[in-house]
Amino acid sequence: MAFPLPRGIVASEIAFLAEMETVTVVPRQRLEGLELLGGPIEPLVPPRRASLPLWLALLLKRQRRANIIPPSWLHPESLSLILEVESQHQDYKNAFSPPPPLPGQPSVRDQGLEPTARPQYTLDGNRYYAAPPFLPQNTAQTTVSSGEPPALPFHWIEVGNMLLDSASDDLMDPGQIRRLLKDLREVRMAKMRSGVDVLDDAAMGGGGVALTGVGAMELGDERGFLSGVVDGLRKIGASKEQARREQLAEQRANGGYNGTQDEEEDYMEF
Amino acid sequence: MSYYDIDSILTDAQKLPCTFELEVPGLGILEGNPGDDIKAGTRIDLPLWLGEMLSIGARLGTSRLVTLDMPDALAERVMNALKADPRTVDLRALAPHFYTLSERILEIFEEEEMVDVLINTFKKRAAEISDHAHNPRGAVGDGVDFLRGLDETERQLFRAAHDRAKQVRIWAGEAKKK
Amino acid sequence: MDYPRSRVPRWTIDDPDRVVTMYGELGNKLVQHAKRTQALAQLPPYQTEIVRAVTREVRDLDRDVARLLDPFEGSFNPSADPATACSLLVDHLCMRRNKRCLMAYHRVRTEKLEELCWTGVDVLEQQQPSDGSEDRGVSQSAGGHSSLSPEEEEYFRLYSDMLAAYKGQWTDVDLTGTLEPPKDLFIDVRVLKDAGEIQTEYGVINLTKNSQLYVRQGDVERLIAQGFLERLS
Repeated sequence: MAFPLPRGIVASEIAFLAEMETVTVVPRQRLEGLELLGGPIEPLVPPRRASLPLWLALLLKRQRRANIIPPSWLHPESLSLILEVESQHQDYKNAFSPPPPLPGQPSVRDQGLEPTARPQYTLDGNRYYAAPPFLPQNTAQTTVSSGEPPALPFHWIEVGNMLLDSASDDLMDPGQIRRLLKDLREVRMAKMRSGVDVLDDAAMGGGGVALTGVGAMELGDERGFLSGVVDGLRKIGASKEQARREQLAEQRANGGYNGTQDEEEDYMEF
Repeated sequence: MSYYDIDSILTDAQKLPCTFELEVPGLGILEGNPGDDIKAGTRIDLPLWLGEMLSIGARLGTSRLVTLDMPDALAERVMNALKADPRTVDLRALAPHFYTLSERILEIFEEEEMVDVLINTFKKRAAEISDHAHNPRGAVGDGVDFLRGLDETERQLFRAAHDRAKQVRIWAGEAKKK
Repeated sequence: MDYPRSRVPRWTIDDPDRVVTMYGELGNKLVQHAKRTQALAQLPPYQTEIVRAVTREVRDLDRDVARLLDPFEGSFNPSADPATACSLLVDHLCMRRNKRCLMAYHRVRTEKLEELCWTGVDVLEQQQPSDGSEDRGVSQSAGGHSSLSPEEEEYFRLYSDMLAAYKGQWTDVDLTGTLEPPKDLFIDVRVLKDAGEIQTEYGVINLTKNSQLYVRQGDVERLIAQGFLERLS
């Protein structure tokens, strides 16, 4: 009981983790390279662009030693587009706008193609595929093909907020960006909450809410509530669930093959 | 349902009607008449922790000692009100631990329809709770009455949602100051 | 039938309508206290009276069991005498219930004590009447009346010692420090109370009242928590 924080990760911790995101800066001063725990930082030579962790970029920005080039999604035009998908598009009435594609993943346009992710290798020679948060989703020069629609990265709320606060003069129309971020947040929050209606199916095995594309801060915000709802529904429905299981067991005892098949289907639903 | 869980202990303290199947001398204290006997057929409201165990007394090699009835909080009348509009019912007035009481009762009685009504109630009210919890100005108007009528499970849900939303605002707000 | 009629008269009469405390009611009161305690920042006074009453009730119930069983001389058969069996079961369940209430009440309080230990609140110091020389610990100590039972005071003392010994193993990490991730390494602070000199990695800082400093957050966390410094945003 000594641990005072609620279960799961809290807002300030999520924001702290978001500061590890890589962003693009244009240094205004020369700076020697740094050996950091998270990896080496190249020497900064103006006006050559460089990639830095967000926390360092913000520090240099506050000291007026660098400017931050905002990621392409943090632009009024991109955000308006995403907001439109989020609120008008038929396919996304009950879903969240798609997250940025993983490397090698076919974009929304060329559905049906096999993903062709290129593996990377650890120092020990183990193969792995990079995934967020170890993919640059907030750098300016992400190799996005021109046709790619803009997408919100995992840490969109945190990165957006921090850049608005500390680097608003590097952004295009910060007032408009702030408004759009707020609208996006509200539209998506409403979607998350309307998901409560199908949560009892989730609690009873099967169904649920697809959280693809939901950001870290959004998850952190709703975690306490949604898990509380699922927990409550599970407890209220416990007697019914018990009855269902008994019925299944009975069927299995009587019906042999059919029974086991039922159980398999049951398992598949999760 | 841990042994030390305060809410579980308080749930156990909620009462339900029990009818004695046999005469028990000297047990009148249960009825508020210490020293008296309890006659067969006497109906007394007993806490769950006592009534439930007495009702399964068959283990003693005798017939059961008491039979249980549905508590008022889960009466037909209440179920109808919940079917009509879950949001207007004051659950706290019915039972401070309304849902945990229901869970216990549903273990004892088989009531499939009641499960459905309660699940629907919980969902509808949860959506409303979330709306109130995310309103930074706090509850206003009808909301005050609604929140006052939350049972303990719902209160904890409200607190969880409210605290999280507040954390996010604090984080965003502090960031603005710099 | 020869049933012993008179149960020990241990009920209380609250009003003219003879409201009788049912077995377990007092235990329930304790648990409601515990419920309120969970939501409080401070530890409310120990309910000596109720705890005593509940334990007395358990002893009475135990006596009642002995009295009921006495005539049977060790050969009681429940199915032959269901009424007595019912009384015995009621007695037993009431004792068991009271035990659970007592255990839960004390556990909630010890958990609170442990929490206070971790947050650095010295409950024992707060209990002592303030000697006037220092302006801290003035909260609710006026009468010097402890809200802890003697056992709880002992528990708090030993737990504090244990925590200190545990913390002492690490000099670089403050186990009871803030859990808030830092936003800045250095912060601006104002000194609210003279605190003398402190030693940091960057040399000695002199904390005189009303001065403003730009210091490393980790060096002054403790002083902010103790109210010597105030963080400026």
